[in-house]
Amino acid sequence: MKYLLNFVILVATITSCNRFSNKDEKMNQHVRIVCIAKQYSEIIYALGAEENIVAVDVSSNYPEELKKLPTVGYHRALSTEGILAAKPTLILHDNNIGPEHVVKQLEALKIPMKVFENKGSDIDSTKLLISEIGAYFNKQERAKELCKKLDSNMAQAIENAKQYTDTLKVLVIHFGQASNIYLVMTKNSIAAKMIEWAGGKMAVDDEKGMKQLSAEVVAASDPDVILLTDFGYDRLGVPEKIKELPGVAGTKAAKANRIYRVEEHDLVYLGPRTGENVLLLQKLIHQDGTR
Amino acid sequence: MEQGRSKELIFPLLLSILTGSIILSVRYGAINISVDEILSSLVKYFLASDDMSLNERIFMNIRLPRALLCVFVGASLAVGGVLMQALFRNPIVEPGLVGTSSGAAFGAALYFVLGGTFKFNTNEWTLPIAASVGAMLSTYLVFILSNSKETGRSSIILLLLTGIAINALFMSGVGFLSYIARDPQARSITFWGMGTLSGANWHSVGIVGFSTVTCILIALRFSNQLNALMLGENEAMLLGINISRLKLLTLSVNVVMISAATAFVGVISFVGLVVPHLMRLINGSDNRYLIRNSAIAGGILLSLADVLARMIVRPAELPIGIVTSVVGVPIFILLLRRKNYFF
Repeated sequence: MKYLLNFVILVATITSCNRFSNKDEKMNQHVRIVCIAKQYSEIIYALGAEENIVAVDVSSNYPEELKKLPTVGYHRALSTEGILAAKPTLILHDNNIGPEHVVKQLEALKIPMKVFENKGSDIDSTKLLISEIGAYFNKQERAKELCKKLDSNMAQAIENAKQYTDTLKVLVIHFGQASNIYLVMTKNSIAAKMIEWAGGKMAVDDEKGMKQLSAEVVAASDPDVILLTDFGYDRLGVPEKIKELPGVAGTKAAKANRIYRVEEHDLVYLGPRTGENVLLLQKLIHQDGTR
Repeated sequence: MEQGRSKELIFPLLLSILTGSIILSVRYGAINISVDEILSSLVKYFLASDDMSLNERIFMNIRLPRALLCVFVGASLAVGGVLMQALFRNPIVEPGLVGTSSGAAFGAALYFVLGGTFKFNTNEWTLPIAASVGAMLSTYLVFILSNSKETGRSSIILLLLTGIAINALFMSGVGFLSYIARDPQARSITFWGMGTLSGANWHSVGIVGFSTVTCILIALRFSNQLNALMLGENEAMLLGINISRLKLLTLSVNVVMISAATAFVGVISFVGLVVPHLMRLINGSDNRYLIRNSAIAGGILLSLADVLARMIVRPAELPIGIVTSVVGVPIFILLLRRKNYFF
């Protein structure tokens, strides 16, 4: 059994590593930044400060240009050699990196690492984070513009939300389904904030941000709307297939055809596009599913 | 006479191959390090100079401990295989198959999950000790359960099936612990499934090196008695050997060595099977040579496997267990297909 598992993981590694073969086109840079935080990566690109970014983690995938950079792998399963291959002069991360021994090895090698002060976990701290990163890369003006746009989009979204008479119960399923266990986002996640701003509420509560649920609990939560993040949705392809999943079948969402695809990078962290994304979510979850 | 001389030549030959593979494994990886940089960093280290370049620091803090850990772990696993094969009197036994490694992984997982919860007073030896207790338990269970009453020798079918059962039991224990674990702990547990040497540091090299060298020296001391045991228990007893003491000693040495290695690098399968088998082909079943040669060859095999693990998907890294399984499974099947399971 274990050897079978080894084989599966080998195949998965090889098929998923097309980004690993990306060429380093910034070979001659003196300042070489490896950014291992998807939120930072997006903000840096929005600021137009991406010049010195030479590699990112595999979850940093917005905007599209990021996918052309070499990657150092999944942020919780980094390898020291993989990071060193990018010859970093600075590593940016948000304290959510691992495994621990890799972090210790990087510290022992005295490679400079930086975590920005502001957490970016609500709108105010996200604006502070944008300003902080803007100041770091000397893009203060652009940072101001981004914050202003975020504010005006959020104001619009809050205005929109007033017109909704009902609060929809939304279930966000991450990565689709693995052997009938669903990884769902809970009331304690960034996604939950986004859903609330969009005029909905999370169907599942837990102290952890993500939780594995059995099909029975999914059925019992009986959401009005089900959102699947890109990876899981694309694996199944069409809403009809998703509706057949155990647990999903029979929910209000399945009956009313309210199962939608959402980009993971629009939902799981806050950034300059958060206001826009809330507006998108509002349209998505409040549309009439009957076609 | 000719035979004797070629036996003597094997050991120095293996030693020089080992030196070559160590050099290979410190030089190549996601970044290549030149011989000059290796020499200068060694000089700077002994002069206690703080002024090392990045590549020199990579060599001193990451590559060198990793290369040495490879050698020690490889030697432990290979000698562990030899000892188990002598103890079970069966050439297709190895630590991964008879539950030693999964028991060690379970003990270590228990330490990672409960150690954090109950705030035990721990030091650097707690992890290897926890792993040893788990390994002792699982190996002893397989040993007792698979021993046939009539012949005193474990039948191959019974042994493998018992191994599967005990492995499954302990790996499901690891699975359960990783399921209930809080996030950072769980990340430490998952790697045991396939093993990786990426966590190597001087601390782990120290502990594994100490246990490996001590245990191999002890094993060499009773290699003659193991030869006698392979003739059969009655025969060995007639030669004046205290059988139960020998069995206990072999089991303990083996378990300590394997669990120290497993605690730091996870479960790496098939090294304990492939290496002794190859060494037997070259040099016969005499445990005096077998232990010594297998120790060196185990180091060679694991060093080369680790270089591969680092190179295949670079800049990422494969778990080394994948590499050793790919090499080991065909040999394992070949051994199983042979009608004669015995030495």
